[in-house]
Amino acid sequence: MAVRAESPPAPQWQRGKVASWLVTVDHKRIGILYLATAGLFFLLAGVLALLIRIQLARPDQSVLTGDSYNEVVTMHGTAMVFFVVVPILAGLGNFLVPLQIGARDMAFPRLNAFSYWLFAAGGIVFALSFFAQGGAARTGWTAYPPLSVLSPGNGQDLWILSLHLLTVSSLAGAINFIVTIHNMRTAGMSWMRMPLFVWAIEVYAWLLLLVLPALSAGLTLLLLERRFPGTFHFFVPEDGGSPVLYQHVFWFFGHPEVYIMILPAMGIISEILPVFSRKPAFGYKAIALSTVAIGCFSMIVWAHHMFTVGLSNYLNAWFMVVSMVIAVPTGMKIFNWLATLWRGNLSLDTPMWFAIGFLSIFTVGGLSGIYLAAFPIDWQVHDTYFVVAHFHYVLFGGSLFAIIGGLFYWWPKMFGRFLSERLGKLTFALLFVGFNVTFFPQHMLGLLGMPRRIYTYSEGGLWQAYNMVSTVGSFLMGVGVLVFMLAIARSRTGRRAGNDPWLGDTLEWYTTSPPPPHNFDTVPYVTSARPLSDLRRSLKERSAL
Amino acid sequence: MTPPVRPRLLLIIGVLAALLALAGAAAAGNGGFGPTSPASPNAEGIATSFWFVTALVLGVFLLVESLLVVFVVRFRRRKRPRDADGPQIHGSNRLELAWTAGPVLILFAIAVFVFAKLPGIIDSPDATASGGPLRIEVVGHQFYWQFRYPNGVIAIDRMRAPAGRPVVLDVTAPDWDVNHSWWIPRLGGKIDAIPGRMNTTWFRANEPGFYEGRCAELCGAFHAKMLTGVEVLPQADFDEWLTTAFSAQHQADPALGRELWEGVCAKCHGLAAEGGYGPTLAAATLTNRDALETVIRNGRALPGRNVMPSVGRDWTAAQLQSLYAYLEAEFGSQG
Repeated sequence: MAVRAESPPAPQWQRGKVASWLVTVDHKRIGILYLATAGLFFLLAGVLALLIRIQLARPDQSVLTGDSYNEVVTMHGTAMVFFVVVPILAGLGNFLVPLQIGARDMAFPRLNAFSYWLFAAGGIVFALSFFAQGGAARTGWTAYPPLSVLSPGNGQDLWILSLHLLTVSSLAGAINFIVTIHNMRTAGMSWMRMPLFVWAIEVYAWLLLLVLPALSAGLTLLLLERRFPGTFHFFVPEDGGSPVLYQHVFWFFGHPEVYIMILPAMGIISEILPVFSRKPAFGYKAIALSTVAIGCFSMIVWAHHMFTVGLSNYLNAWFMVVSMVIAVPTGMKIFNWLATLWRGNLSLDTPMWFAIGFLSIFTVGGLSGIYLAAFPIDWQVHDTYFVVAHFHYVLFGGSLFAIIGGLFYWWPKMFGRFLSERLGKLTFALLFVGFNVTFFPQHMLGLLGMPRRIYTYSEGGLWQAYNMVSTVGSFLMGVGVLVFMLAIARSRTGRRAGNDPWLGDTLEWYTTSPPPPHNFDTVPYVTSARPLSDLRRSLKERSAL
Repeated sequence: MTPPVRPRLLLIIGVLAALLALAGAAAAGNGGFGPTSPASPNAEGIATSFWFVTALVLGVFLLVESLLVVFVVRFRRRKRPRDADGPQIHGSNRLELAWTAGPVLILFAIAVFVFAKLPGIIDSPDATASGGPLRIEVVGHQFYWQFRYPNGVIAIDRMRAPAGRPVVLDVTAPDWDVNHSWWIPRLGGKIDAIPGRMNTTWFRANEPGFYEGRCAELCGAFHAKMLTGVEVLPQADFDEWLTTAFSAQHQADPALGRELWEGVCAKCHGLAAEGGYGPTLAAATLTNRDALETVIRNGRALPGRNVMPSVGRDWTAAQLQSLYAYLEAEFGSQG
């Protein structure tokens, strides 16, 4: 740590309450900006989700038309993936990575601010695209051509622009994370002493770096073909393009994207479970290396999203087998987490409840993935509500549960005050019950033959019953989110937290809450993956002498 | 310190509840806990694989969830101080090996089972006494399915097929259209209808009856209305239908025209041309053959947001004639 002294004081105009946030290059503030912006998009996408559930609550409803339903579905999916989960993880990563590795800031603070502001710009374009000529994009978050090429209006073009901005933002952010993690770890922090969350962010950043260019390329081709229909023929077959080519490009990005969204969430779980069990993470190396293994495998399984395209069955078999292989390191993580709980001293605070909820829900999502990997079974359940249920078990019950748990865990560090435990447990109960009531029946709907992305249906009976149950559950979750917002509002006057309220293991708990702009005055020499628990032990030993 | 029976009790209750739910589901025609009752050998192969996977997956599910519940109950803090450390166990190579090998074995079993079932799912059975397989061309359009039989007979949205005879489907979409996906849940898995690509699937319905299906790939505003179905008839009835349709469709019979009107036009313009998503159509428009052909062949970009797809660019003259015949019979008198 050769960082010396303070930087020169900021000029007067940059010190105002608003201005200081606009010009900040402090990783903690940028992290909070990411979280706040992504939080707004979470509310937007959540409202869209409730619209979907209202429309589908009963047969033959006409709250939404076919077109507006397709807009809502497209914008809900795109927002949740690109403007909620990934940026929230970027925000948590921004806030935590320098603190956890004992650094003063990210390697490139200005590039970091640039990433955030590009993301914000992309978000604005995305949100305003509802007012585009012809309405927002309405071809699904996957935007398959030829539909996305033929779709009239400008919504699809703005959708592409917003994602272009976002990919540049994420690429810059990924480079920043990688450089920071590789070069700025504090003295003694070897790779095998790095917090598991930092391991996850490392793999997250590499995946972004390797696969986002594929998305950018695919979207560029799509845009060219849309705007210059006579000139470019990539995907529309009339002049020799191939719609399947786009699917390969998209899923080469799209499948690793799933792991981009889940690996850091798993990293959060790997931080919370040991602290609230008062034990070291069981199988640290196994968890770290399984993260890397999942990252590598995630790049060679993409065509399991394309089993119904009619590829050769030899290819299908290959993609089935490698997809199943991913289940092995994933299962390894789950068993290591369970073993971390074993014989622990479990403090059942809100972060821990969310981690436990994650474990129980993610297991279901992982297991339903096996059906999808086995391609003949996928021919039955592909593009049905079974798939919708599966990826919500992974992304909502998985990623978002971990994220909310992480927010409860790190909130005291970010703002110096706790989120209310009582409201936190209520949030958890509502979300956990609401989530399962919403999404479990969707497995059944899919098996009963309900395709995804249909704006209405006429069937009564079980279709109607399960859809109604699902809608009721979604409103329970809506209430849960409101309670969470209340907890956030109340936290301004919440209980004050000390430096280390949870008796954490990692370096962020060594500094004050909230940390000063330069993070640390000193950083202890790191001799294990749990520097703070080492510190507590040596203090105890010294005082016993 | 050890809580007596509670975790075990919880577990037992949980398992019983799960079994009860499953038994109830099985009794009520599985209620969506498994693929809808298969009616074709390929669908049966898929359903069997599904249940095989379910047996293994359910085991893992119960193991993980019950361990989780037991650990949370058994090791919760209670009166211990928050900072009392648990045993500082860092891992166990033997356990890591065990829970790597276990899933590998389970997945291996699944893969072997699925590959063993695969030939029965992808290969259509050989010709039977009633002749070789029947080949039907299936073309997905915005927003209707068009079927063409070997003798040129055309049907819209409702396919007729003979019982007990393998039916091979060549599934595609026109070059100017979008992706669709052909799916009759009880007659096997889905296969995409992709412009510029010919995919093949098959079924052999054992029993006469009507088997519903839907388009399973987002294809635009009326994706949800792209319903379809297979009406399986005894071989003799099917033959009769096919020959009747053949002679009728060569004489501009309004029956096909009616299918076209209902399957292709009415989804947007309403059954009585009263309008809906698409504009109201006056009787004069509907009986103006030239104008009608132009619109049907080329579609229309309307100002604002709607685009009428070129629904009939690949229609035969006989198709157009039968549509005219139907429209004139239906709307002509009003004009």
